[in-house]
Amino acid sequence: MKKAKSLRLILCLILVAIELVPIGVVITNSFKRDIDIWARGPFYFKPTLKSYRAVFENSDFRLALKNSLIVATSSMAVSVFFGSMASFGLVRFRFRINTFLIFLILMLRMIPQITLALPFYILFRNLGLKDTVMGLAVAHTSFNLPYVIALLLPFFASIPKEYEEAARVDGCKPFSIYWRIFFPLAAPGIVVAAVFAFLMSWNEFLYALVLSGPRSKTAPIVVNAFLGQYAPLWGQLSVGATIMLIPVFAITLGFQKYIIRGLSSGGLKG
Amino acid sequence: MFVFPALIVIFAVSIYPVIFSLYLSFTDRTLLYLRAPKFVGFSNYSNVVSDKLFWHSLKLQLSFMAFAIPLELFVGFLVALLFLKDFPLCRLLRSLLMLPVFILPVVSGLTWRLMLQPGYGLLASFFNSISLGPKAWLADTKYAFVTVVLQDIWRMWPFMFMIIYAGLSSLPSEYLEAAQIDGAKFWQRVFHIIFPLLRPVMTMAVLLRMIDALRIFSEVYVMTYGGPANATLLLPLYIHKQAFEFGKVAYASAASVFLLAVSLALSFYLVRVSFRGEVS
Repeated sequence: MKKAKSLRLILCLILVAIELVPIGVVITNSFKRDIDIWARGPFYFKPTLKSYRAVFENSDFRLALKNSLIVATSSMAVSVFFGSMASFGLVRFRFRINTFLIFLILMLRMIPQITLALPFYILFRNLGLKDTVMGLAVAHTSFNLPYVIALLLPFFASIPKEYEEAARVDGCKPFSIYWRIFFPLAAPGIVVAAVFAFLMSWNEFLYALVLSGPRSKTAPIVVNAFLGQYAPLWGQLSVGATIMLIPVFAITLGFQKYIIRGLSSGGLKG
Repeated sequence: MFVFPALIVIFAVSIYPVIFSLYLSFTDRTLLYLRAPKFVGFSNYSNVVSDKLFWHSLKLQLSFMAFAIPLELFVGFLVALLFLKDFPLCRLLRSLLMLPVFILPVVSGLTWRLMLQPGYGLLASFFNSISLGPKAWLADTKYAFVTVVLQDIWRMWPFMFMIIYAGLSSLPSEYLEAAQIDGAKFWQRVFHIIFPLLRPVMTMAVLLRMIDALRIFSEVYVMTYGGPANATLLLPLYIHKQAFEFGKVAYASAASVFLLAVSLALSFYLVRVSFRGEVS
């Protein structure tokens, strides 16, 4: 039995090592100079902060990081605000049409982004939303809002109906029933929804590629642009990537308990 | 009404664009708005169907899914079995395995590109040392597709693992104990008890991965941009290229309507198998 245990441990250690190698590559390369990466091979390592300095002095990257934060936060806020209300309404008021709406929303989570990118491009150009941070936030809401609704449905459904009845007897209006009773009770779900919405927006690349421009580009676009036309700036690219990974890893390790739920509600974007 | 505001937003950001895209697919609209678009009936659709490159990228898309997803499921399942019994460090290792799933697709693609650079990439040097190289992995039509699939497997088998492990740990333990007492061997228990009980969970995981694979874009875009010589031109990249490189928006819309139909059919099925019980 003892032997079987250590065999498991060794196998898993190998697997984890394989999974972590590329992440290690990004982080170690961020402490190298661009030129050392392609001139001295993968095993030369003399840590320096030169690439970090270069990236932080790059005003493009600072702007993009700010844009990424604004887009992710505002799309998250809008999605959580409207989404939690809708989710509450769909679960609490039993109309025939609600079943249909739930079905529709669950399906809408899955629209491929490229299908929406084409009409967005043309519509945004007509509306003057192209190359604006707000336009990107609107585009991100197209996947975040149905996702938030879907994720919150079981949370709201699991809150006992008695709370609502008691509140109504005490003369509570429908909106304050939602805001004062259900919103706080569903708080764990709402935090998970907010976190995943933020992550999906933070990781998003296709809409940013198609709909943004010099003013509104987000961090993934600038990180990719470090590849450049002439020489790939791998060191600076790795710095950008490492910075992008910090919130991602902080969130995943902090919210482990809820990750399965988040993922099986479709919280996954290519 | 509580649902109404969200419905308006959803209509504006998803349903209306889809309808607009459908409309575009019946016109001759180009990326640059040169003249008022004309209605052209089904000709975009018939052009898509007669485009060799479309069938090529459809074939790539299907083989991508046919290679990546079963392998991810297989590895994920085996590793979930490894974690069935506790061993030292198992909680820590389990949480470390989650990290690749959440790594930004762009970062994952770029990292693989770096690792595969001939001359200075870590993976390329590793392949050299086991005398598989030197090769320009991403510039070679034979290997580019394989590396794109490998990248996906590396990133996504932990997803399968997590879903299956969650299903496994919520199984009632009486079944397994009873079988053990009856003298069933480990593999007998796996095949006759664990596997059938986990079928619904695995179906859900596979469907989620299939729908996700239909959206794959950024990893491949930054690794190869569909090249070399269209060897990694998966369906979303094909559509992107038609629209934003060649300006054929209407044509690309027709192709994307096809992609949308497949996605919606799969998610219809997914919603039916997995969410019926949860909602009602």
